[in-house]
Amino acid sequence: MRRLVITLVTLVVGVVFVAAVGITVTKANAENQLTVQPALSLGTVDTANGKLPHVVLELSAWPDSRSGCHGQDGGAHPDWVTFCNTTSLSVPAHALVTVRVHQYDAGEKITNAYFAKVHGTADGMAVLNGKSFNEIPPDQVGHTWTLRGIPSPNQDPLFVSVPLQMADEEKVGDNGYPVPNVVEFSFYTGGPGKYFWNCEFPCGDGTYARFGGPMSTQGYMAGELTVV
Amino acid sequence: MSDTALKEEDRTPADAPRWWERGDVRAVFLIWLILSAVGIAFAWVPAWLMGLSASSEMDDVKMTMTWFTAIAMPVGAVIWAVMIYSLWKWRYRGEQPPPDDAPGFQTNPPTVVMWIVISAVLTLFVFAWGLVKIAAISPAMAMTSAATSASSGLRVEVTGNQWAWNFTYPQLGNIQSDVLHIPLGEQTTFAVSSVDVIHSFWIVQMAVKVDANPGAITYLTVTPTKAGTFEVRCAELCGLYHAAMETTSVVSSRKDFDAWVAEMRAVKPVSSMTEGGA
Repeated sequence: MRRLVITLVTLVVGVVFVAAVGITVTKANAENQLTVQPALSLGTVDTANGKLPHVVLELSAWPDSRSGCHGQDGGAHPDWVTFCNTTSLSVPAHALVTVRVHQYDAGEKITNAYFAKVHGTADGMAVLNGKSFNEIPPDQVGHTWTLRGIPSPNQDPLFVSVPLQMADEEKVGDNGYPVPNVVEFSFYTGGPGKYFWNCEFPCGDGTYARFGGPMSTQGYMAGELTVV
Repeated sequence: MSDTALKEEDRTPADAPRWWERGDVRAVFLIWLILSAVGIAFAWVPAWLMGLSASSEMDDVKMTMTWFTAIAMPVGAVIWAVMIYSLWKWRYRGEQPPPDDAPGFQTNPPTVVMWIVISAVLTLFVFAWGLVKIAAISPAMAMTSAATSASSGLRVEVTGNQWAWNFTYPQLGNIQSDVLHIPLGEQTTFAVSSVDVIHSFWIVQMAVKVDANPGAITYLTVTPTKAGTFEVRCAELCGLYHAAMETTSVVSSRKDFDAWVAEMRAVKPVSSMTEGGA
């Protein structure tokens, strides 16, 4: 009888422990859920792939988190570089997606010059302040917007990477930040799937070869793009 | 102590059964035989689970896996057979709690010697097998930069970057791609490095893997034997999106590979800093 009681108590304690771990992890994940920014519809457009829905994503890249999208005081990490308004994006399947990034941050030489070039866009090009380009000098990189997915038979492959040229710190706008460079590019989505994007220009907090801190934190310089 | 043992104690030395005539030994042997047969019959499963093979290196790995599994099965079966039989035959069924003093184990020198010799022979066998296989792939691993530059075949520079791979073809005008394209049936040498943390470059279906270390170049060589699209993964935990640090390797005929190279070379650079740029 005593052994039976001990066995039952052990089982209950084990179940409670596992349940507590599961609940804690689920709660932590829920708290980290970012507001999803769906793309804004622009109707349809004639493309090389036929008539497709056309949507636009408006983003901005800031040298710190005080611009407002993390709260007026900059949130938990006011000094962290960040994309705004959110890094959790949603776009429709089989569509032409235009991404427009207002880049307010300075920059320097990127560690891998591959990411100073445009890859995977609809026409192989991007537009910087109204002028087309497919590469920027590797020492003029502010950030990058690099999207990829895990190759899988369950979703279409997607790889897009566009360098965001550094802003001129000597030209300051009314908001106290440099006048931004506006970079615009488009890419095609395939079927539904989940993809990941981040900046490939390391400017984190010094950890993990400067890919720590904001670089490795969703909501700042890393995020997800869901094709629905 | 079992009835069999008691009976054996009553017997004279001349009447004692030889060890292979003992019922316990025969029972354990029978269980071992069955487990070994089943294990060896399914020795192909681990290699099958490894999936498609796209290189001779992968073929070697799968063959090694199958042979080692087949050899290991009888060894493991000895343990399982003794354990299964012991749990059934000598389970204490008397009054609780069991007495503190249990019959002591008796050593059997011939059994110990046989076990050591068989284990040593098997260990030496797998050791020799491993040395032979490593020697077959080590020339590429020990290559110097000069040696790889002078070697025939395609050379691809692989750069690991949190969290994407990119590939540069120095012999083909330094074209770059996020997808690895290599020609079928031709030796390709990879010079692998990283610009940040340690990654590991792994072409899954070709069973070749080497670390990508910042500040250093590591080499590996492979000759793909199957056309198709295969997985390239990072096999060293490298941060937030390590699991997403995957791309594909496209193995195609020389003709298709040349067509891809031509397509990549046709892209003209348009810098944001040129006239008409930013």
